[in-house]
Amino acid sequence: MERRRLLGPVMWPARLVGEAGLAALDVALASRVLEQAVDRTLTSSLARHAIDRAFQGPIVDAIAKDVVRYHVVERVIDELLAEGVADRIVERVLAEGIADRAVDRVLAGLTTREELWVLVEEVASSPAVTEAVTQQTAGFADQVAGGVRARSHNADAWLERKARRALRRPAR
Amino acid sequence: MSEPRYEGLVTRAIAFGVDAAAINAVAIAVAGIVALGLSILSVPDSVDTVLLAVGGVLWVLWSVGYFVVFWSTTGQTPGARLMRIMVCRGADGRLLSPRAALLRVVYLTLAAIPLLAGFLTILVDDRRRGVHDMLARTVVVEAVEVIVPEAVPPGPSATPVDARPVPASIDAPRSRSASASGST
Repeated sequence: MERRRLLGPVMWPARLVGEAGLAALDVALASRVLEQAVDRTLTSSLARHAIDRAFQGPIVDAIAKDVVRYHVVERVIDELLAEGVADRIVERVLAEGIADRAVDRVLAGLTTREELWVLVEEVASSPAVTEAVTQQTAGFADQVAGGVRARSHNADAWLERKARRALRRPAR
Repeated sequence: MSEPRYEGLVTRAIAFGVDAAAINAVAIAVAGIVALGLSILSVPDSVDTVLLAVGGVLWVLWSVGYFVVFWSTTGQTPGARLMRIMVCRGADGRLLSPRAALLRVVYLTLAAIPLLAGFLTILVDDRRRGVHDMLARTVVVEAVEVIVPEAVPPGPSATPVDARPVPASIDAPRSRSASASGST
């Protein structure tokens, strides 16, 4: 309170100067001259040089660190997902066949790679895969044999009934 | 103990068909290899005739031996194993001796001679026996696999198991010396 009372005579002119500055800035921003000055500056070699220097300097690293630190990418992705932009991008990629062409190119590249076939061979000959195939084959064979047994038992009973009826013998 | 399930004509015919296929597949493969070998050698015709006779005898021995060995060791040929049936003695359910198995092969052949009429009694006999079964005093019954713990010293260690086929009505594993019941 005391401090405000002491600085009162100085604060008033300072506030007046500040407001006058802001009014001058508004006028300048609305003027075509400043607009042209900005255009000329941006198209000049000076601007290009400034950008080159900026990219060469540590500012890019600092920006990258800040992007990571403040989770900028995650926040942008969250926003894109929330707004449905990602869905629209996926739909457009699928509609234009970009995904198909990309998959075709990847597969075409993969099938010519020797490493792929070595990997496939390794996987196919692995004990787990061979055991699974063996079990499945045995299970299938068991299933087929079980079906044959059940049908043969039915056929046995049917044939026996007919034979016993023909010989007028009682059923078993 | 409950009556075992005696197996009928169709089931036994399928099992026999599988065995016949196995026997002939091996015989054809061997004959093919021998014929290929002989094709590059020039042997007299008389030797050819002798080789044919020897081959015929070997085929008979192979066929008979196939049944005798399987019937007297496990009671099941591969075809019988597929159909889960087995041959055992009708009186006590024990496995056949090699001599009894050989006799059964002979009786089986005899039963087939009169246009397979010897097998028709399977359809009407109460224990589904063919003429060869009656002559050899055997029955064909359903086989089940039981898990039998092997004899191990008493202790907390894990007990190894052994799966063996036995007639469906019999709880214990069957051997020629083991006692049996149920299939009379």
